[in-house]
Amino acid sequence: MKNSLRVERAIKNITQAELAELIGVSRQTINTIESNKYVPSTVLALKIARVFEKPVEQIFILEDTD
Amino acid sequence: MKPKFLFPYQSRILGYVCIVAYLPVMVYKKILHHGYNNIGLKTQFEESNSLLNSEHILTATAVALVIIGLLLIAFSKEKIEDEQILQLRLDSLQWAIYFNYFILVASLFFIINMHFKEILLLNLWAPLVFFIVRFRWVIFRFNRLPQTEN
Repeated sequence: MKNSLRVERAIKNITQAELAELIGVSRQTINTIESNKYVPSTVLALKIARVFEKPVEQIFILEDTD
Repeated sequence: MKPKFLFPYQSRILGYVCIVAYLPVMVYKKILHHGYNNIGLKTQFEESNSLLNSEHILTATAVALVIIGLLLIAFSKEKIEDEQILQLRLDSLQWAIYFNYFILVASLFFIINMHFKEILLLNLWAPLVFFIVRFRWVIFRFNRLPQTEN
């Protein structure tokens, strides 16, 4: 699964730390999600989507290998 | 995901206090084991099978103190306990159990004369120590992730 979190953050102009605080996780967790090292739970993905006011599928995209 | 069965963040400090509190007991026990202390006073307790034997109570309390201390250190929440920390915690726990049983089985083969009681005594605290070391190492590496902004 890949994601466009970094791009979405740039559009909204918020830092990793700010996003982390908005959804109640650590900054490192945002970091590992962005670098595709960690796959967030559905709850966390929905929270992230809510911050960017977009459907989850626009931020998190399934790959062929999934 | 809400973390379940974890102690509050500050209880880790209490855990360290328990471990530190054990140190004088350990030194005292060493003196006891020797039979006489430095100033030549006899400190050996009389052998007794009673549950109210003071040496038995001291040993049991000391071991309980160490285990409670280790449990508090191992299972207190992080400052920000999110789902990824929970994942790392679970991975470390699995690693610690594997490692512990590996050591246990290896010690069965490599220790002659079977000091089985010693091996079992070691297992009172070994899994928790393995877990704590591994988890703290993983958290240390996790916290050192570079800050890539924008």
